[in-house]
Amino acid sequence: MRFGKVIGKVTLSDSDPTYIGGRFLLVSPMDKARISGEDLPPVSGQPDVVVYDNVGGGLGDVIGFVEGGEASATFDKPTPVDAFNCALIDEITYQGRTHTL
Amino acid sequence: MIRARVEGNVVSTVCHQTMKGWRLLICQPLDGDGKDSGQPVMAIDPQGAGVGSTIVITTDGKGVREFLGVDKTPIRNMILAIEDE
Repeated sequence: MRFGKVIGKVTLSDSDPTYIGGRFLLVSPMDKARISGEDLPPVSGQPDVVVYDNVGGGLGDVIGFVEGGEASATFDKPTPVDAFNCALIDEITYQGRTHTL
Repeated sequence: MIRARVEGNVVSTVCHQTMKGWRLLICQPLDGDGKDSGQPVMAIDPQGAGVGSTIVITTDGKGVREFLGVDKTPIRNMILAIEDE
C-alpha cells in the first residue's frame, strides 16, 4: 500500500456499470520527503495515478492506495480497477517525527 | 517477499473494514546490499515489529488473504518475519 496525495478528481461521462457508487481521485504518489512532512508542492515527480475511491478521499488528503490484483479484490463482480483507495491517513510517524494531517 | 526496514507507523481511522485493528507500519524496502530502494510502503503488522528492525514483507495479496481468512481484502503488504541478525 503506497502513500498518495489527492490532487484532483476525475469525472467520467460514460463508464463501466460496475463503477456505480465509486469516485475517481487523481493521486500523486508521495516520496520520502513528502511522507516526512516537509513543506513541498503536493505533486511529486512520480506519475499520477487515478484511484478508485469509495472511502471518501477529498482534495489534499493523504491516502493509502493499492495497485495490482488486490485493487479489484474487494468487488463482488469482476471490476476493471487497478488502483484502489483503502485508507485515509490521519497521522504519520516517520523517522521519529510525528505529524497530523 | 522483500526485505525492508521499519521507519515508523501510520494512524488511519477511516479505512477498509478488513484493515481495522491492524498496526500499520511504514516500511522502507531494501535492496540486496541493505541500502534503501524505492519509496516507503505501508504494511500491516501481525508480528509486533519495532521501529528500526529489519523485516520481511510480502508484496502479494494471496498470502495475506489466506492469513486473514478473508477473500475480499485490498491488503497486499504484510510483515511475515523479523530478522534477528
